[in-house]
Amino acid sequence: MSNAAQEPLLSAIAIAKSFGGVQALRGVDFDVVPGEIHALLGQNGAGKSTLVKILNGVHPAGSYSGAIKLDGRPVSFASPAAARSNGVGYVPQEIEVLEQLSVAENVFAGRTGLGDGALVHQRKLEQRAGEIFADLGIGIDPRAYVASLTSAQRHLVMIARAIVMKPRVLMLDEPTASLSGTEVDALFAVLRRLKTQGVAMIYITHRLPEVLAICDRATVLRDGQVAVRIAREDFDAETFIFSMSGQRLQRLFPEHTAPAGAPTALEVRNLTVAGHSGAVHGAKDINLSVAAGEIVGLAGLLGSGRSEILHGIYGRVPAEGEIRVAGDPVAIGSPGNARAAGIALLTEDRKRDGLLFNLPVGANITIGNLAPLSRRGVVRGGLERSSILAAMRALNVKASSPQASVSHLSGGNQQKLLFARVLMRAPKVLLLDEPTKGVDAATRHEIYRLVVDLAEKGVGLLIVASELEELIGLCDRCLVVADGRIVDEFGRGEGGEDRVLRSVTAAQAERHASQVSP
Amino acid sequence: MESAADVGSLPRDGQSFRRRLIGFIAIGEVGVLAAMALLIVFFWLLEPAFLSERNIRAILNVVSFVGIIAIGQTVLLVAGEFDLSVGSVAGLSAVVAAKLMTVAALPVTVAILGGIGVGALIGLVNGLIVVRLGIPAFIQTLGMLFIGQGLIQVVTGGYPVYPLPEAINTIGGADLAFGLGWSFAFFIVAAIVADFVLRRTVLGRNFYATGGNREVARLVGINTSAYKIGAFIVVGALAAIAGMFVMADLGSGGTSIGSGWELTVIAGVVVGGVSLFGGAGTVAGGVVGILMLKVVQSGLVVIGVNSNWQQIAVGVIMVMAVGLDILRRRYFIAGA
Repeated sequence: MSNAAQEPLLSAIAIAKSFGGVQALRGVDFDVVPGEIHALLGQNGAGKSTLVKILNGVHPAGSYSGAIKLDGRPVSFASPAAARSNGVGYVPQEIEVLEQLSVAENVFAGRTGLGDGALVHQRKLEQRAGEIFADLGIGIDPRAYVASLTSAQRHLVMIARAIVMKPRVLMLDEPTASLSGTEVDALFAVLRRLKTQGVAMIYITHRLPEVLAICDRATVLRDGQVAVRIAREDFDAETFIFSMSGQRLQRLFPEHTAPAGAPTALEVRNLTVAGHSGAVHGAKDINLSVAAGEIVGLAGLLGSGRSEILHGIYGRVPAEGEIRVAGDPVAIGSPGNARAAGIALLTEDRKRDGLLFNLPVGANITIGNLAPLSRRGVVRGGLERSSILAAMRALNVKASSPQASVSHLSGGNQQKLLFARVLMRAPKVLLLDEPTKGVDAATRHEIYRLVVDLAEKGVGLLIVASELEELIGLCDRCLVVADGRIVDEFGRGEGGEDRVLRSVTAAQAERHASQVSP
Repeated sequence: MESAADVGSLPRDGQSFRRRLIGFIAIGEVGVLAAMALLIVFFWLLEPAFLSERNIRAILNVVSFVGIIAIGQTVLLVAGEFDLSVGSVAGLSAVVAAKLMTVAALPVTVAILGGIGVGALIGLVNGLIVVRLGIPAFIQTLGMLFIGQGLIQVVTGGYPVYPLPEAINTIGGADLAFGLGWSFAFFIVAAIVADFVLRRTVLGRNFYATGGNREVARLVGINTSAYKIGAFIVVGALAAIAGMFVMADLGSGGTSIGSGWELTVIAGVVVGGVSLFGGAGTVAGGVVGILMLKVVQSGLVVIGVNSNWQQIAVGVIMVMAVGLDILRRRYFIAGA
């Protein structure tokens, strides 16, 4: 069915937005008509979330250029609340619920008085929530505490919370990220019912089988622009993959060739990492090896289990399996064991699990590396200072002094500081989780150079990065991860971004087929 | 200085005056020392007897008891936890040691070691429950505060343990210099050792890392559980030692030893710039904080202020100090 003839309910015209000099959106036109499920596709960084945040008022009017029209009339949302009261609802990707309250209270969060006074009408709330659930075909008891729900049920509660406002436009950001096959079915049933009620929906996802299953139209963003708009009649996984990857600005990667016949640096056999709290994220039976001087990439979508593989190898999370470094078995279990064996890990989130904000730059570099800089447990001040300065010089960390606070450093300098920390012990195996996340272009290039230099010195590197172009340009070999398994492997020059997307899609389609009843 | 704590120490290269000023204020001890100096001058101007030998001796004597515990509490706060049971532990260890040397007729040395053992054991229990079971330190140590108070009554039946062996009175009555005894000597030595450990050793640096961000510390190979439990044990043992010094000073195993100390100790070290959020502060700062609190209390007595107002002053000073601590964090340890 085509809704092209209908008047758009919500439309965005020539939206452009930049963050500190980086152009996130460059003149995007987008619209959605009543009773339509419109897929918004694109790789990480293509501009999907920026567009959605503009449409629901997270980026307030005035912080972008272009116009938004609702029912053909120009509107501007100063906040998400303003968007909601205009009938534009949003279900974010992260689950935001109040665990200690009941399902009904969560559904009506912020409006538990139901508009008449200060008292909470417990019974009325439960009754109204029950009606909404029955209407949507959701089988959750409104009196249950949210703490007892699975993550899929919590997601449904969040969708109900958005629906209570009777939105005319509903935006769903990766709604199936934490759902299993049957739960996806239940969600789709809800969306189809909303569709018959004339709600216009914007559906953001990375999962192409879902687009093929439920969406009426698709818009693909690439580098902040609309790459293509596709109507349901022309839906085809190949077309999506082609338009999502496409040609982008070429980046220069330093030349590197994996040495032939080099000894194995890291060998992983049957590594299994448990997923946390019922979600599918985890890794099963991973087998891989990295040669000394080789750069290996783990490609895959967010939540595919790629980071969990790194964490399992490093002993950050409980894991089972066999790990060998340069042929010697490593006892899995704690980061201490992994470090002693010569494995180092650079974590993804600098603020949360990288930097120590209570210590200055210098102590941030030497923390965990103090043994050779001390005598009988007493830190040798002069030696520590000179090795800090040497490390800062080697990695070009720009800070006024080793005593400077890390919070004043730029993202790029913070990242180089963390590189200095993990390299201080001269690891044999280096695990990098998103090594260029949130750093400027110049530092990005320095990091590429560093990675290649380390490989040339014989370090085995295993890298996770969301930007496929970067991963493919940098790595000698790529392993494609989907649903916690390695589903494809190819060497330098044997494939590009399209190959990764195709393997992931094939794996997802297989899972979809095996779990969803026809 | 390579110390971990002086996040904002004086930049050496020529930078703007503003940054230098901010950097100077950022050192926890400097602010407290300046405030204390002002207060001392203020009290002395109002009442010259404030700086009499007798009064100075009295202040230092009191500081030595709570100060011993403050050393441990500082280490524990730096490791990211805190202990509300220190007063009870001090009292319980004192009466247990008193019972051991009187009723059980054990040698004084053995009895004292028994008292320290009680303190260390309670610290171990606190540490294990907080770290392994994940019960917040606030709940666990508040519970232990009550348990300890109850045990004091159980052990003593509500009566002070008296008389104590002559050796104890000798320890309590000793005059090493300036009328100060063994408790002050122990306090000074322990403070210097602990300050050195936190400032200069790998152990100390790892405490700061553990309290700053436990996950980061774990990822760089630090056994954070061992550090936290170890800090709880240190606090327990030091509380026991302080309790027994008070017992020696009084010449009896009184049932009210240590009562109410927990809040004085935390208030004092926080005034001295030790962060309640973990990972920041020094033993020198904590000790100066306690000293300042006692200077205020004593000064108010000397100039003849009603005792109710003394309590109010302590409360106001602590809140102001924590407010300053939060401001400092906002400027120097931003992160968010």
